[in-house]
Amino acid sequence: MKISLKWLCDHIDLNDYFSKADELAKMLTDAGLEVEAVENKSVQFKHVVVGQILKLERHPNADRLTVCQLDVGDGTPRQIVCGAKNHKEGDKVVVTLPGAVLPGNFEIKKSKIRDVESLGMLASESELGLKKESEGILILPDDAPVGKPFAEYFGLDDVGFEINVTPNRADCLSHLGLARELACLLNRPLKKPDLAAKTSSQVSTKKAVALEVRDTKLCSRYSGRLVEGVKVGPSPDWLRQRLESVGMNSINNIVDVTNFIMMDLGQPLHAFDAAQLKGSKIIVDKAVVGEKFISLDGTELNLNGDELTIRDGERAVCIAGAIGGQNSGVTDATKTVFIESAHFAMDSVRRTARRHGLQTDSSYRFSRGTDASGVVRALDYAAGLIQKVGGGEVAEDHWDLNANPAKKPAIPVSVDYVAQRLGHPVTPADFEQWMKRLGCKVEGSSGKYQVTPPEFRGDLEQEVDFVEEFGRLNGYDHIPENLPVMNYAPLANDKNYGFEQRVSALARQVGFSQCVNFGFTSSKSQAALLGGVEKYKAYGLQMDSEPVRVQNPLNEDLDVMRVSLLPGLLKNLTHNYRHGNNVGRLFETGFVFGRGPEGYVQNGRIAFVAWGQIQGLWNKAQDESSVFFDLKARVQGIFDKLLINTVQWKGAGANPPSLLHPAQTSSIFIEGRDVGFIGCVHPKWLADEKIRVGVAIGEIDLTAISRGQPRTVKFKSVSKFPAVERDLAFVLPKSMAAADVSAEIKKTAGPLLQSIEVFDVFSGGNLPEGHVSVAYKMVFQNATATLGEEELTQLQKLIVGNVEKKLSVKVR
Amino acid sequence: MSSTPSQAELLKNLEDRLGAALKALNIVEDASRLYDIKVAFAGKQGFLSEIMREMGKLPKEEKPQFGKEVNRVKASFEAAYTEREGALKNKELMEKVGREAIDVSLPGPQVQAGAQHPIHLMFDEVIGILGRLGYAVRTGPQIEKDWYNFEALNIPPDHPSRDMQDTFYIDQTHVLRTHTSPIQIHTMLTETPPIRALAPGSVFRKDSDISHSPNFHQIEGLLVDKKVSMADLKGTIAFVLRSLFGSAVKVRFRPSFFPFTEPSAEFDCSCPMCNQKGCRLCKNSGWIEIGGSGLVNPKVFEAVKLDTKIWQGFAFGFGIERMAIIKYGIDDIRLFAENDLRFLRQFNL
Repeated sequence: MKISLKWLCDHIDLNDYFSKADELAKMLTDAGLEVEAVENKSVQFKHVVVGQILKLERHPNADRLTVCQLDVGDGTPRQIVCGAKNHKEGDKVVVTLPGAVLPGNFEIKKSKIRDVESLGMLASESELGLKKESEGILILPDDAPVGKPFAEYFGLDDVGFEINVTPNRADCLSHLGLARELACLLNRPLKKPDLAAKTSSQVSTKKAVALEVRDTKLCSRYSGRLVEGVKVGPSPDWLRQRLESVGMNSINNIVDVTNFIMMDLGQPLHAFDAAQLKGSKIIVDKAVVGEKFISLDGTELNLNGDELTIRDGERAVCIAGAIGGQNSGVTDATKTVFIESAHFAMDSVRRTARRHGLQTDSSYRFSRGTDASGVVRALDYAAGLIQKVGGGEVAEDHWDLNANPAKKPAIPVSVDYVAQRLGHPVTPADFEQWMKRLGCKVEGSSGKYQVTPPEFRGDLEQEVDFVEEFGRLNGYDHIPENLPVMNYAPLANDKNYGFEQRVSALARQVGFSQCVNFGFTSSKSQAALLGGVEKYKAYGLQMDSEPVRVQNPLNEDLDVMRVSLLPGLLKNLTHNYRHGNNVGRLFETGFVFGRGPEGYVQNGRIAFVAWGQIQGLWNKAQDESSVFFDLKARVQGIFDKLLINTVQWKGAGANPPSLLHPAQTSSIFIEGRDVGFIGCVHPKWLADEKIRVGVAIGEIDLTAISRGQPRTVKFKSVSKFPAVERDLAFVLPKSMAAADVSAEIKKTAGPLLQSIEVFDVFSGGNLPEGHVSVAYKMVFQNATATLGEEELTQLQKLIVGNVEKKLSVKVR
Repeated sequence: MSSTPSQAELLKNLEDRLGAALKALNIVEDASRLYDIKVAFAGKQGFLSEIMREMGKLPKEEKPQFGKEVNRVKASFEAAYTEREGALKNKELMEKVGREAIDVSLPGPQVQAGAQHPIHLMFDEVIGILGRLGYAVRTGPQIEKDWYNFEALNIPPDHPSRDMQDTFYIDQTHVLRTHTSPIQIHTMLTETPPIRALAPGSVFRKDSDISHSPNFHQIEGLLVDKKVSMADLKGTIAFVLRSLFGSAVKVRFRPSFFPFTEPSAEFDCSCPMCNQKGCRLCKNSGWIEIGGSGLVNPKVFEAVKLDTKIWQGFAFGFGIERMAIIKYGIDDIRLFAENDLRFLRQFNL
């Protein structure tokens, strides 16, 4: 909100602060009224004054220049060289003296122009920043007082404050409000101008206009008064300048008065053309369902019956507190004005304003709460001012229906409590003093008080509110630092959070870098990328076919909640690849969203993307699918650290998701359940995205792998006897998984087999078509004795026999 | 041998052959030739075996003497042989090592661990600091009931304080949580005070420009105990900021308004970059705005049915991205969502 220092001076003497506006700003900020900007025009025009040309001569060395002697009001004429043509002796002009800095950081200095000394410059409107372009220097009217600072003469000697008023301080949304706050902070008296209306007409408002408030809940107080015989026209300069100083446009004298009073006292007003009020009636009631209403700015609204309206005998003439109707507003033809000053329920005005987009200065103030006790004063002030700027006669009486005149109750406040909550000592005297300066009524003694806040402070309702009031006024800098004592046992972190942290750390350990993507995404691209959600369910990933929608999305790229982490990660991959990162390993942990039997659910996931081959002397001649094995090895590494020992890679299954390479994908099966998948991205997607390296992705349900976590290591004693290695190769049909053979070997070998791994895969040569040779390295060890050669040979025979028989393959 | 040699002849022969063998050992450079020398001198068919057979022909009384001589010669040969063999092996090894020279400037295989996202790095840091003060991590849903996100936090429907947070709505009763504060409510409803809870999380606001992301991260601390003051709050915040930015930083409270705290304060940290001398980060003010805080409003305790006569509390929170921007000097919030490896790898800590 914009506040003018000049305007504030109507209510409190702040003349000493024009030269130190920053101090005032700091004081307000420290008291909780954050000043976001200070605009000081008088500082901008320092060393710029009104002057008069005493003498004008040609420049001896330049035909186009003149040499002027200027009176600037201090008795010492100044010589200034000027290049303009529109000035003559005796003209009043704007003189910029050395030291002045004009807009555009244009500094004025003493200089010599073609050997003639010049002690400043005569300024044009464009040089003063008043207009974009201008011709010649600015010639002022004859009555301009010589020596007067230009800013003061031009009415630019104001200081503007941009203040961020928090929602609890509705009382500060006006100049009076800020003045009250400053009166308290500075301990200065408020000026109390007499705003009472001087009635001059025999007309009775009450007789001329009938008033009925049907909804006293939403309108607790309604007042109104007629002003007859007004002349609608432009506002006088002072009124226009005032509105301009707070960034408002002048409309006409009547509307300007209502806006002026809103900015002055904080009470929004409305002016009706009384002649347009059908049946000479004002009825305050809710709208009729389905009613149409055309607002002052010409917008048609469809009312749903929830809005509070001001109505005449036939129709809505105003949306209460938000905007007036076209059918009854003040026009050039208006003769009699009905001024409304009322108190409307804040929630109702806010709801209506939001529903219909009626964010006006009026609805803003009503929805934050106005001071019901100030309604009639604003009405009177408006009547008097309208008469002053628009003529006419003020009716002899006014309406004032006040349904809720109840006074605010006193609140018990103990100084000990204030001190305890702030954490520093507070004396009763200090407390009493500040509360009184705030305008509270303070009763009681020795630290136990009954405090009644002023009517305009609707936010002060409980004891702790006075803790804040005292604290902020006394200064938060007085609050010391103290670490609270803990005399109870700390609790553990949330289990799921801890698990996610652990898995993230492991993912980083095995080489993935961590990503963070938005929780919402584009419905279109998510659906297009993932394909049918059913197919992910087969891999153990719950996914709603209809993602959870955001009702009011920022844009269509963020219109649904994500059902998978992969769209985000693939976006990250594309970004990285296009920015020259040809190899990368990324992961993200986070939630995906859906619906469950008890409402919305969020499931923790971890997802991976790996692309490109890690190059170097060590990695050569790998085909594109090797990124699958790279990803698999890393993911396996995570499972190992989680002590998940039985991971089965079961292949893609029937109809894998369209995003995935159907022949290079595997579900992950752990301890009796599918927990996710990994797989290479379908070559079609790579081609579409112009990605020329292999890409493997994977997603795993975190809950599914969190069972029994954290798991505890169970130590197995280390054998003292030697381990023996044996290699075996089998010729398998390509349709058979190498893991089937290892499983059979494990089954046959029993506990003597310490480990088994595939160390070579070979096809071609003299192998039959469609077959592949897989070589296994096995390590045998007995925990209690040295393995005999005999025993080992027997075991190997048994293994070969079993594998050949059960799997119909041949040893090589 | 045609005639029977005398012991003297045999001894001379023994000495001569030993001398020759030792000489040969001295000059041999090849391991197989070395072995040939051994075979010829001390092998089964070698010289020593032969001379032992000759010894049989000697008179009985001379045999022990001669046998001793042969053994002496054999021992000296073997000692010389072992020494030479060792020398040759060593020489061979030295040559092999020489052939195995590598270019140490070549790179090794990549053993790079992945990087942590700076948002999580910052989360971990703050959780670690407050963990030392006994705060435990609590979580909550991101699609949140209106009641938890607003009403229980003293933000009634149609109240102007709702304007402070532009909200994404899911349906009539659900929003995307606009702050981590609803986690306070979940915690107070499920746990019995005293409470020290810490709520990190992802939050959403309908706001997007050069300095605002519609989905960002916050962390929030909550303490509920019997006597809790603004001084306790200030001390706790000071501990966090000093742990993050060094023991020299100062903390400043400014009065503010949050519906769920009373009194409320925004807190600033003295600029750790310039030590309040004035810089771009603090816009020459010497202070950096960090977050919001205050004493738990009794109305919030009423909502979660905690007796306001017994329990008091404080809460404080701040934006994680902003903290990372201050701590690491990140200059563009869009970087947090791009997940560019050139960005992430800088946080490979």
